Amino acid sequence: MLYLLTGGSGCGKSTFAEALCAALPRPLFFIDTAMPADAPEAEEAARRQARYREHGFQTVARYTDLAGLRLPQPGGTALLECICNLTANEMFDRQGRRTDPCGRVMAGVDALRRQCGHVVVVTNDVGSDTGGYDASTGAYVSAIGTINAALAERADAVLELVCGIPLVRKGTLPTRMEAQI
Amino acid sequence: MILIVGGEGSGKRGFARRLGYADEDMADGILDRKPVIFHTEKLTMSDPESAVALSRALMQKEIVICNEVGSGIIPVRPQERRGREATGRLCILLAQEAEAVVRMVCGIPCVIKGQLPSGEDSIP
Repeated sequence: MLYLLTGGSGCGKSTFAEALCAALPRPLFFIDTAMPADAPEAEEAARRQARYREHGFQTVARYTDLAGLRLPQPGGTALLECICNLTANEMFDRQGRRTDPCGRVMAGVDALRRQCGHVVVVTNDVGSDTGGYDASTGAYVSAIGTINAALAERADAVLELVCGIPLVRKGTLPTRMEAQI
Repeated sequence: MILIVGGEGSGKRGFARRLGYADEDMADGILDRKPVIFHTEKLTMSDPESAVALSRALMQKEIVICNEVGSGIIPVRPQERRGREATGRLCILLAQEAEAVVRMVCGIPCVIKGQLPSGEDSIP
């Protein structure tokens, strides 16, 4: 099963994603795609991953080439957080050169689905503002829109989080989750 | 307390008027004695650390109106980034306690939690 969680910043996606994973089969893998840019961000990533481990996840930091990732145990549930970071990593190199990330991001999600019974993907709505960005940022916003639509088409369930409230936009949730919302 | 969220110009204040509140009942981004506050995001954008304390004060309102500000490119400026995040967190806290949460979409009130006072038509 593929679950897609979307919404703006601070809408409760991560909290909900963790609760959803708790209702899904183990082992649980947390795939952290946020590449630390400096020492404080690296510390933050270490704290974040430690928190997920406390909550029963095995954590994997993976910034690019998700399709090449081999999880230690097949089956279980993978939480991929998040599409925006993975897309940025796949789209821009250190020199700021740009390539189309869509194929690599989708191949990465497909690879997780082949290894795990359940994949929970967290993305973000980044396209609902006034725009006015430079060409690279504009292309990034478009790429995420394209990827989100492609993921939603493949997903068994799509949820939008608004003020912490999950709104089911496609499919249904596991029965244990349905009881909570 | 009823929480009304939505993008800029989505009809949030118009809906508050339909619930029986006049413009003079509504305060623009300041905490005062009026029953309604709008542009609540101004409070968190200017002081991102205030979300938890604000939520307690805002629970006393009859209507809290807040712009959804988290759906765009994450800002480079830390204050703006934290402000957006804090606005989202504040809305989560308010939504947990609210009798009803209404999200405006193109002027259409979508009740995403609870029920509106009787007689008010709503689109689930």
